[in-house]
Amino acid sequence: MQLDNVLTIFGMATATYLTRIIGFVALRNRKLSPRAMAVLEAVPGCVLISVIAPAFVSPRPADLIALVITVLAAMRLSMFNTVVIGVVTAGFLRHLLG
Amino acid sequence: MSEDAGTEVSGAVAAELETAVVSTKSEFRRGLSDTAPVLLGVIPMALVLGAQAAQKGLTVAEVPLMTGCNFAGGSEFAAVKLWTSPPHLALITAMTFLVNSRHLLMGAALAPYLKHLPKRKAFPALFFMTDESWALALADARKRAADGIVRCFSLPYYVGTCVGMYLMWVSFTTLGSLLGPIMGNAETYGFDMAFPAVFLVLLKGMWTGFRKGRPWIISLVVAGLTSLLVPGAWYVPAGAVSGIVAASLWAREDY
Repeated sequence: MQLDNVLTIFGMATATYLTRIIGFVALRNRKLSPRAMAVLEAVPGCVLISVIAPAFVSPRPADLIALVITVLAAMRLSMFNTVVIGVVTAGFLRHLLG
Repeated sequence: MSEDAGTEVSGAVAAELETAVVSTKSEFRRGLSDTAPVLLGVIPMALVLGAQAAQKGLTVAEVPLMTGCNFAGGSEFAAVKLWTSPPHLALITAMTFLVNSRHLLMGAALAPYLKHLPKRKAFPALFFMTDESWALALADARKRAADGIVRCFSLPYYVGTCVGMYLMWVSFTTLGSLLGPIMGNAETYGFDMAFPAVFLVLLKGMWTGFRKGRPWIISLVVAGLTSLLVPGAWYVPAGAVSGIVAASLWAREDY
């Protein structure tokens, strides 16, 4: 192991752990207003949809069609079935359309 | 007589403890099995990350050190991309914080559910918080709250979701660093679609109607445009913050 590598890894680990505890520590002992609660309720969806947003603007038609099919599957089916449909249609359409 | 009563009481306590142990076990298993479909997407990602890290000169010991101590995939992909010999410590640490800034919001969203836990449990639990475990545990807590369960956040359920993720991530990134250049590109098959698929199902579970879902649309549009226009992982904080600002403006109308 190289010292520079190990130190950088520990730098990353520290930064990441801080991101994981800061939000919790800041809000643990506060009583929130209904408005703050309403905002906080919207946060998870906003973060999740932002993480997967690049998939919605993919330049590949195969990816976009597969995504539409996956969205429809997610509205009706279980987690496992949706994942299988998403993976299979994406693989198949990329093979077909490039 | 009094001895009998004592035995009876301790018997009742033992039975209660047993129920608690059984329910902890079954909650743990429930968490683990709910994570199973997510792990389908984790394996190829982990192999690719390990292989890329090996190409950048990280050793087979350094790869699990990174993925085990940091345990946040997006930031590890970014770090490996930036890795030089020697690596730029400040740059990589700052990028890691930035890519993982969504954890700030996630931890804040989790705070009301975790505050009844002692710190010695809450702080280690937060170390293992990933998008997937967080979303599964939060969706589960909301479902249990709707069912009238007071302590709706199930710690053993959350631990179950974390254990699967952690073991798979660390072991398959290590395997990836060993397999290295033999590997092809996971995107040729459709495995990367597993992540949007999982997130879409979770979003569907959180959907409570168009009115409350409006901020998500703002997030989607802003994050999507940012990902096209700005290189790097800026689209995550940009989309999340826009949606939250929109939510707070709409909440001002309502409250």
